[in-house]
Amino acid sequence: MSEIDEATDPAALIEAYYDAGWTDGLPVVPPSDASIAAMLAAAGLEGHEELGAITGRNAVVVAEKAAINAVMAGCRPEYMPVVVAAVKSLCAPAFAYHGPASSTGGSAMALVVNGPIARRLGINSGNNAFGQGHRPNATIGRAVRLIMMNVMNTRPGLLDRATLGNPGKYSFCFAEHEEDHPWEPLHVSRGLRREDSAVTLIASNSLYQVYNHLAAAPEPLLSCFADALGNVGTPNLLGFNETLIVFAGEHAEVLQKAGWRRRDVQRFLIEHTRRSVADYKRGARLPGEVAPADETTWRYRFERPEDILIAFAGGRAGSWSACLPGWGTKWTRSVTTRIDVPSAVSQGGNA
Amino acid sequence: MKLFDPTSKPVERAIKLAPRPASPRGLRLGLVENTKFNASPILEKLAERLARRHQMTVTVRNRKRSASHEVDADGIKALRAQADLVISGIGD
Repeated sequence: MSEIDEATDPAALIEAYYDAGWTDGLPVVPPSDASIAAMLAAAGLEGHEELGAITGRNAVVVAEKAAINAVMAGCRPEYMPVVVAAVKSLCAPAFAYHGPASSTGGSAMALVVNGPIARRLGINSGNNAFGQGHRPNATIGRAVRLIMMNVMNTRPGLLDRATLGNPGKYSFCFAEHEEDHPWEPLHVSRGLRREDSAVTLIASNSLYQVYNHLAAAPEPLLSCFADALGNVGTPNLLGFNETLIVFAGEHAEVLQKAGWRRRDVQRFLIEHTRRSVADYKRGARLPGEVAPADETTWRYRFERPEDILIAFAGGRAGSWSACLPGWGTKWTRSVTTRIDVPSAVSQGGNA
Repeated sequence: MKLFDPTSKPVERAIKLAPRPASPRGLRLGLVENTKFNASPILEKLAERLARRHQMTVTVRNRKRSASHEVDADGIKALRAQADLVISGIGD
């Protein structure tokens, strides 16, 4: 263990973690030998085991350090397999950690949890799925950010150069609502089995909600998403984009009643999420004067159906859904990782 | 009670530095372009000046997959073999 000092007063101990520069700005739960050991045991890990590495930074994530940060974040031990899977996603070559973690864009690392573990841990997928009030949502995402700061050296002002950042950088974790899902869940659409548990990581520049109270058919409803995703101020005009769309409540019902499937939504959005070169020139997103042909020359935001991730979450009432635009497929790609739970833990039902 | 250090230091790697050139004159120049908006114009302007002042010649142009990615192994190999000096720029 990395014992470096002693203290006796819990409040003083919390302050000591602040003084060392190890927190995200909120107080942390001071770890103990027992809490770290419990965290490792719940994931079936030894402290020295390597979970992944960020090669460009020579940063290696070992299980003990991940466990310490998970305790500090307030995780219960049974959350640790989700944290581990999220760390593996961060370290996946396809995710290309350096850009989304360090860019001025200030991405939140949004985590979507699927499968039996989401229900067992009580990860909120319903009302206020993106909001406060649920321990696993709050602490799993927080643990991932603390690991980024403390283990992957991604500290604000140093290797985290976010211009503004966003509140999701503290924590952003929710579960997909699978019980009355109109289609296959997100993780199944990405090649896993329905009975698997999984976490999908996407670097999201922002979160914005899309409102439509009148649409009774998919086309007008989805045109609002196309408009939101195609705004002139978004990056990556050349079309290499990825996004997560989260349908909630009444919007999910509109799609379900119309019999639209995932591919139908993706194809509609590929076709309709576009802006003219003239729009981009008027907004000084492209240089030069507007030529007549620019009015009918289109730039499309998305290249492939699979670049539009779709999940269902949130309350049943309300005409709100959300877009979480990603950071661009040229720079990074979302990653889905299966969550491995040791059989002794999963059978013990300690969640 | 104890404090548990949650941080990790980067893993140390032994890196052998190339010998420093005695003079800038006539060096072979490698350019690493990271695909950002103005990276290439900045690098090319620099190369022009270096050619004018020190008679350097661009022998390798490497375009990374993105600013988020490292130079790949083939790119490193080419830079090592064909350049005495490498410039990498961020652009924007």
